[in-house]
Amino acid sequence: MKIRDLPDDDLFTAGHTACPGCGVAMSIRNAIRILGKDTAVYVPSSCAAVFGTSFPYGAWKVPFFHTAFENTGACLTGMQAAFEMKGKRVTAVGFAGDGGTYDIGLQSMSGAAERNDDVIYICLDNEAYMNTGIQRSGGTPFGAWTTTTPVGKRIQGNRSFKKNLGDIVIAHEIPYYATLSIGHPLDFIKKVEKAKDIKGFRFLHMFTPCIPGWKMDPAKTVEVTRLAVESGMWTLYEVENGEKRITYKPGKMKRVKDYLIIQGRFRHMNEDDIKKLQMWVCRKWNLHYKEKGTPEICEIELPEEHHAVTEEHREMHGP
Amino acid sequence: MAAQTLAEAAVIEGNYAVAFPFFGAERRGAPVLAFTRIDSKKIYSKTQVYAPDCVVVLDDSLLDTIDVVAGLKPEGTVVINSKEEPDDIDLGVSVRTAAVDATSVALEILKAPITNTAILGAFAKTTGIVRLDSLEDAIGTRFGEKLGKKTGERNALAARTAFERTVTGRSRGVKKLEPKKQWLPTYQELPAGGALIEGKTEAGLIGPGSFIENKVMGWATFRPLRDKEKCTMCLLCWFYCPEGTIVRISDRGDLMTNYDYCKGCGVCANECPVDAIKMLRARV
Repeated sequence: MKIRDLPDDDLFTAGHTACPGCGVAMSIRNAIRILGKDTAVYVPSSCAAVFGTSFPYGAWKVPFFHTAFENTGACLTGMQAAFEMKGKRVTAVGFAGDGGTYDIGLQSMSGAAERNDDVIYICLDNEAYMNTGIQRSGGTPFGAWTTTTPVGKRIQGNRSFKKNLGDIVIAHEIPYYATLSIGHPLDFIKKVEKAKDIKGFRFLHMFTPCIPGWKMDPAKTVEVTRLAVESGMWTLYEVENGEKRITYKPGKMKRVKDYLIIQGRFRHMNEDDIKKLQMWVCRKWNLHYKEKGTPEICEIELPEEHHAVTEEHREMHGP
Repeated sequence: MAAQTLAEAAVIEGNYAVAFPFFGAERRGAPVLAFTRIDSKKIYSKTQVYAPDCVVVLDDSLLDTIDVVAGLKPEGTVVINSKEEPDDIDLGVSVRTAAVDATSVALEILKAPITNTAILGAFAKTTGIVRLDSLEDAIGTRFGEKLGKKTGERNALAARTAFERTVTGRSRGVKKLEPKKQWLPTYQELPAGGALIEGKTEAGLIGPGSFIENKVMGWATFRPLRDKEKCTMCLLCWFYCPEGTIVRISDRGDLMTNYDYCKGCGVCANECPVDAIKMLRARV
């Protein structure tokens, strides 16, 4: 399927109240376009629940269900079981945020993955709790400003690195896991289509920029996802039945600085912190693209110790 | 942030002040409220302001949907970000009104349509509650601390420019704003579990897809204009548009732009591979 093969009709209508340039709105509009009308949607507490519905109004034209924050996996299981009992061929799809997947919904997601329920779980990763006013989540990258990781004199921004959710999900040995970015439309369409046809627990991990949370120009939503992929902050790959495949490899690694500079949440970062983040990115780049040695951009050697434990971390929590 | 800065300016002049926002949606573009109380004595009142002496409106598109002068004292003042002359603005009541085109000021000086500091300049001129120099000091420190000294200075300049351009007059009192109809069912009328199917009430559509009646064009400062000659129909703008502003009509092989839903993010113009889309000022 190419862009021109997508249907004209919107199953997520105009008039919703997302911020201008919202990456989440872009992703769910296109995902539901591809998944089609035989879909039932579950959204836990998140921006998507607020801007997509506000009782008694709604933007979804497919059945929509919302309860609590932490139970996306369990609700999807229940919905799918109900459809099966009724003999209906309906795909149950959950759109959870990074807070609802990395932290709060992790147990429920893990349960559904372990049972290999026949549902699609979509994580809209905007790297913090944006709906409640930008608080740090497990998905927040190193150095980023949030209201709970403020920029002070001694400690500036988030001190821990982004949790490797991909490997946690893959460890459940599910049939399909893929990372997506709205800035790569053909890759995006291909992966959602593939997920639609596979049976079992499918996990789509979408990278969705947040304009107020990342403090950036709304026109750059798509540009920033491309920069993330080219700098190695985000990797496009899929794991099908345990076999990993890189679906898009950028030509030359861009400096992580090029990605940081267009976002206000990283504006305070000093050279040391940028180097630390660059090292983390280089390690990730090598792991994913199986390159020997460190890319030239990492000017300093990688430390032997575990990368997530930084000096400040030790000062705060002890060794 | 404007409410806080104003309070700080009042404190610089030796007064007491309290400022706080109305807690609601964190999303950008949604209508928000903030309050400031200024007094020469200590302030013990902690409630929201229900009968204000002055109302500051940062977006004149709100005038069509919200009764901004609700509770305003008869001798009160309204400060509006508008291109119109104050005498031409219809508020439903005739009150002292000041108007300034703060959006243009902000675009000239800050290069972004962020009008909160500019409008404070208009407030200072109209009411005289705070002096311009203390306001400039307050903006310099508050914005300077958070966003750097240069940004602080530029915001202070925006306030000064708006101060100079403010025009005062009296609003017209012709319009009758009808309160928006709401669908308010009793709990017996609601379906079990709050499950709604597509339906129509006297207040409009409800249920799935009913957001289509929610026009959001008031959010936009800029809006896109597509050059049909240059357009190659790659459909990227249609794919990327987060709003559904760009509508595709396959039968005619064409795209249509429905400005009712455009919030003016500019993603389409930024992503167009042949630069066929330009962003122009909305509501000129």
